[in-house]
Amino acid sequence: MTISPDAARPGQTWSSAKLPLAVFACAAIALPLVLSGNRYLAFVAGVTMIHVLWANGMNLLYGYTGLMPLMFAGLAGISAYFVVDLTALGWSFWAALPVGVLAASIAGTILGLPSLRLKGFYFTLCSLVIQTVITLGFVYFSSLTNGDTGFSQIPLPSLPGGAPLSGTAYELVLSALAVVSVIVLMAIVRSAFGRRLISIREDDTLAETLGINVTWYKLLAFFVGSVFAGIGGALYAPYIGFISPRSFDVLISMNIWLMVAFGGRGTIWGPVVGALLLAPLSFLLQDYYMFKDVFYGLLIIAVIVLMPAGIAGGFHRGAARQ
Amino acid sequence: MPAGPRPAGILSAGILVLSNAHIILLLSTISTGLILGAIFALVAAGVTIVYGSIWMPNAANGQFFLLAALFGWTMTVSWGVHPAIAALLVIGLSVPLSYGLEYILVRRFYDVPNRNISYFVLSLGITQILTGIFASTYSRWSDQYQLPPLIKGVTFIGPFPIATNRLAVLAIAVVILAALFALLRFHKYGRALRAVFQNRDAAALRGVNVKAAYSLSFALGNAVIFAGGILFALAYSFDLSVAWTMSITAFAIMIIGGPGSVLGALVVGLVFGFTQAIVSNFASPTVAAFSYLGAMLLILLFKPSGLFAK
Repeated sequence: MTISPDAARPGQTWSSAKLPLAVFACAAIALPLVLSGNRYLAFVAGVTMIHVLWANGMNLLYGYTGLMPLMFAGLAGISAYFVVDLTALGWSFWAALPVGVLAASIAGTILGLPSLRLKGFYFTLCSLVIQTVITLGFVYFSSLTNGDTGFSQIPLPSLPGGAPLSGTAYELVLSALAVVSVIVLMAIVRSAFGRRLISIREDDTLAETLGINVTWYKLLAFFVGSVFAGIGGALYAPYIGFISPRSFDVLISMNIWLMVAFGGRGTIWGPVVGALLLAPLSFLLQDYYMFKDVFYGLLIIAVIVLMPAGIAGGFHRGAARQ
Repeated sequence: MPAGPRPAGILSAGILVLSNAHIILLLSTISTGLILGAIFALVAAGVTIVYGSIWMPNAANGQFFLLAALFGWTMTVSWGVHPAIAALLVIGLSVPLSYGLEYILVRRFYDVPNRNISYFVLSLGITQILTGIFASTYSRWSDQYQLPPLIKGVTFIGPFPIATNRLAVLAIAVVILAALFALLRFHKYGRALRAVFQNRDAAALRGVNVKAAYSLSFALGNAVIFAGGILFALAYSFDLSVAWTMSITAFAIMIIGGPGSVLGALVVGLVFGFTQAIVSNFASPTVAAFSYLGAMLLILLFKPSGLFAK
């Protein structure tokens, strides 16, 4: 495994990242305004922004720490169910949001513990089992989750004035969060914390020998990655207005993984592009759901066989390979 | 029941009825446990043969299992083929399918280090493709699939009835398992496969054609999974959700038994079959799934080489 382009130039300054960041920020903020005339397209844009957030969190774990958890959607689901249950008890959404995010992060940290013992395929399998257990749990504990039926007509968060956060305003919040998540990920990757994660990805035994506390940093990566999952999950529930165990099942986890792998793991913009391309696609193919599954399956195979470094890897020769 | 004048007589009759019901329940649990256990063992053996040799954790095993069952349903119900012939055709069909898949996809990774994770994701992709295909074709025709029985009628074990068809399925499953063991233990192909399981380079030095052994084990493993699928379809009615359950169960059996260990697959498969049969008598299938997954997590964390590791 060679060092990815971001890690190869630790001296890289913020200035080289400013232009793409500015372009992305302007586009992300402008998109809901431009599409505000068409509710359906604006909605697709909003959901895509949630996926950008998720892809960034997954990228921190898969791209920069070298772990491949397939339970990411399950963590988002934990946060979503917390928020829906607490708001149903009369909590304000804005009070429930941090609780849900904290629940997802704590769950993510605990469920990340196996990564300390298991490597590669065994950890991925373990996380797949955890994802399946989480989904079964969502179905089984129906007093908290309403079982297979799920919750519908989830109320929108209310603004300080009392008006609900809806429509274009909600999409602007989601866009802003997507931009912030990119900035946060950039900051992490450029910090000592990020460099330590990358060194764990490259060789965790060597990192340990060099005095890096691998246990601590792996768990911290899980905590931070799960914060991304949790924020996305908490905002997903009222935005869609409906959640069920299917909203956070293994296929969603695979799709989030695919956005990162397809875009190019271990790069800032690869997974963002992956999410921007793949998240709207599932809406376009919604009426052809059988074709959608086949297409996603073929794409997974194509990524594994033809482009292990993703789209971004096509531009940076010698980027991280599996 | 008419009220008799002697309460003691009623009481003893009541106990008799109750214990008869208990014996029937016990027998049905044992037969279900044996059949499910044998089928679980077959599928897990197929998965573990492929993982042990080419290092491919085939998450699509449940979809292959379902594919065999659905092919069997099409042949028997739609085309009117006799179930026995259909079963042979389905198992035979797995061979060209396996070799085709091996040629297009699996072969590319034989020399890649850490290929098990690539294979794992690859097989998840195959899973998703087959899920989409099944959902768009078979799910429009029926929700629940039932094949005609292999042999009609009922056999009595003492006073207790059991469907002859299920006994036949059990016998065939046991014969296939025995043949698989004999093949791996005594035949020269089996010895070559085991040599590749243990040490690929040493086997190559001793004149084993490693690539041929790889393709053979892929085909053999899938044939065994297909056999499990068609036997399950002959014994029980099924729906499309059986695929994912089977995938997870086969993986749990493989991990607990020890990846690459056919004996482990057999023993743990039987244990899981009985667990399923017993648990389904008094709790929901979710509880059985929870217990498998929990057992698998514990083994993964504390003894990743499995209980029957070589």
